[in-house]
Amino acid sequence: MAKDLEISIRLKADVSIIDIKGDVTAPTGQPIEDAYHKVTGAGAKKILFTFASDCYINSGGIAILIGILSETKKNGQVVRMTGLSAHFQKIFAMVGITKYAQVFPSEDAALAEF
Amino acid sequence: MTPEKKKFELHVPSALGNEKVAMEFAASIAKQLDFPPDRIEDLKTAVAEACLNAIEHGNKLDESMKVGITLTVAPGGSLQVAIQDEGKGVGQVPTPNIESQVEGKTDPRGWGIFLIKNLMDEVSFESTPEGRNVVKMIIHLKK
Repeated sequence: MAKDLEISIRLKADVSIIDIKGDVTAPTGQPIEDAYHKVTGAGAKKILFTFASDCYINSGGIAILIGILSETKKNGQVVRMTGLSAHFQKIFAMVGITKYAQVFPSEDAALAEF
Repeated sequence: MTPEKKKFELHVPSALGNEKVAMEFAASIAKQLDFPPDRIEDLKTAVAEACLNAIEHGNKLDESMKVGITLTVAPGGSLQVAIQDEGKGVGQVPTPNIESQVEGKTDPRGWGIFLIKNLMDEVSFESTPEGRNVVKMIIHLKK
């Protein structure tokens, strides 16, 4: 199932950016967790998740993201998100993810607010 | 549209990923009925989550067991959706709490039914006389 997901990591100033394209689900969760652990291992304190606008995110993917947010809280990291469609912005607010990771309309807007 | 054409059915094997087939099936029918894009997205997520539950918990990933998706066009521009599995009852699922999950006190899963209840206009969880699970949902053209 990992073929349904593409992950890449970038660094802009002191912000670690994790780009996510494809399906965010339980079977594809491991690469997302691996990317998070990689940037954390490199000392990241500011993390931006950028989602492709056509990402499919289900409850299994939401569980993966909440698990990561649990770790970021313990590690004292600040998390932002961008790129989400209007539908998934609504879903993330409904679930409460936006209490822990503010969602921005663009990457530039997110970077400016760290 | 004649009455016999108002009902649409799809049956998919219980394999992860087939929930996406079901959600695109539902979306294609909602598009024909001129549902607005935001309502179609609500429908897609609800159908996918109900199918995921049926695949994982109802049919326990047994690909020889099918998940049935039935969409019925109701008067007034609503869609009735029924998702049925072949398993036995999965029981009650507690309402998830993100604060508890982020604190690491509870497992960060269990959001599927929460999403279904919050995105659809009417939802019921029923059992057939044979004990199979059926999720029945109604979505209106406009929320």
